[in-house]
Amino acid sequence: MSHPKSSYVLDARFLEPPEPFVKTMEALDSLPEGARLLLLLYREPHPLYRVLDQNGYRYETEQVADGTFEILIWPA
Amino acid sequence: MQALLSFDQAPPIAAPVRFLVTAPLFLAGLGVLLVLRGPEVFVSRWTGAALAATHLVTVGFLLQVMLGALIQILPVVAGAHVARPLALAAVVHGGLSLGGVALATAFLIGEPLLYGLAAVLLGGSVAVFLGVAGRTLYAVPTTSPTIGGLKLAFFALAVVAGLGVMLAGGLGFGWALPLADLADLHGGWGLGAWAGILLAALAYVVVPMFQLTPGYPLQPSKLFPRVLVAAMLSWTVAVAGAMPVVSRLAEGVAAATGIAFAVYTLNLQRKRRRARSDATFRLWQLGLVSMVVALAMAVATALFPNLSDRPGWTPLFAVLVGVGGYMSLVVGMMYKIVPFLAWLHLQNLAPGKSAPPINRFLPEHQAQRQAAVHGLAVLLLAVAAFFPEAGALPAGLAVLAAASWLELNLLTVLARYRQYRKDLVGQ
Repeated sequence: MSHPKSSYVLDARFLEPPEPFVKTMEALDSLPEGARLLLLLYREPHPLYRVLDQNGYRYETEQVADGTFEILIWPA
Repeated sequence: MQALLSFDQAPPIAAPVRFLVTAPLFLAGLGVLLVLRGPEVFVSRWTGAALAATHLVTVGFLLQVMLGALIQILPVVAGAHVARPLALAAVVHGGLSLGGVALATAFLIGEPLLYGLAAVLLGGSVAVFLGVAGRTLYAVPTTSPTIGGLKLAFFALAVVAGLGVMLAGGLGFGWALPLADLADLHGGWGLGAWAGILLAALAYVVVPMFQLTPGYPLQPSKLFPRVLVAAMLSWTVAVAGAMPVVSRLAEGVAAATGIAFAVYTLNLQRKRRRARSDATFRLWQLGLVSMVVALAMAVATALFPNLSDRPGWTPLFAVLVGVGGYMSLVVGMMYKIVPFLAWLHLQNLAPGKSAPPINRFLPEHQAQRQAAVHGLAVLLLAVAAFFPEAGALPAGLAVLAAASWLELNLLTVLARYRQYRKDLVGQ
């Protein structure tokens, strides 16, 4: 799945907790250097933000019209 | 990545749990009241028994669960980390519990001092909650409709509590106030604005998350809480300015807005990706359908005020909003949130080890059966609204059974949490 914001997309919108979190961690661990991960969710993942902050990642979040939160994540 | 699953500095589980295990006791209190003084509960909304019953549900059960759950989930849904959550929980829980008992007793025996005590304890608990949790919430930026909604809901809660304290003064100490108008506004702000907006703001997160539905679209999600608060403000101004037509119009708009939200959510549930219908799904369906019927009654009453004089109309509305509607939605959420929190805490206690899967904390059939008894209680209460003499006793027994079973289910989750904790970390 590709997206204008990134070619590394994790669509976690229909996954049950804690799968979105676990899969995000896995995706970040295997993210190629210089790439950015785009995570799609129907909620703003505040607990994930804390982990990203603690582990030196940066992120940018935008909520689009259908309610999806697009969270772009990259190593600082 | 290190710190893999210690992904949240969640408050200790003891913070919300004390609220959650207390709430069913108030529901059991309602069951006992119905058994002992049932017909009085349904004969008029102004009898002491009716007011006690209403507040056992709204303050004893709903407010108790809502504030307790909020202390726990504000960090998760809003990134708002409440300082010293255990201390806040202890103060608010103590005040709400004693205040809830004092208020129900005040309605039943009419003792002025108890009204005063209830006003101090309940008003004080809400003030402390809003002072601590509210300040934390208002400090975070509004980056989602959930956060925006919660901020408006907290404002509404302050209004509800303020009106409640005034009403307690009127009933207990004879303050010269238009009690009927104030009671309508108190109920409207409580059940319409505070509880309605809170439920919607949380639904934006938990319905897609736990029921695997599509999300709520951005603009309507932002608009819904604002329209409700605007309608309630208009209603309040209209009551203060003695403008009955404006007041009815605002009441109708508030109810119609609620219907739109409930119908939209029912439609989202139809599109869910999870095939099985679990207890939460069924309770939410019951809750949303009850809400739609109750709010349609509210719209009809706004158009034709004489309807509220019909026998059974007002008690049926109260049953459908309080027990069929909000209680079903709240219990449905509890069945997802409580096992999830237990799992989350275990995972945090033992990083690197795997906590048992979430569905092991409460067998689904146990939740389903409680949900079925809850549904039966709603049905029997609705019958009792029309036939109080014959209907109150069976309704009371069903409420008592639903309350006891809910308590048992919550204690099951906690017992398993303790057992698994022992297995995982040896304490």
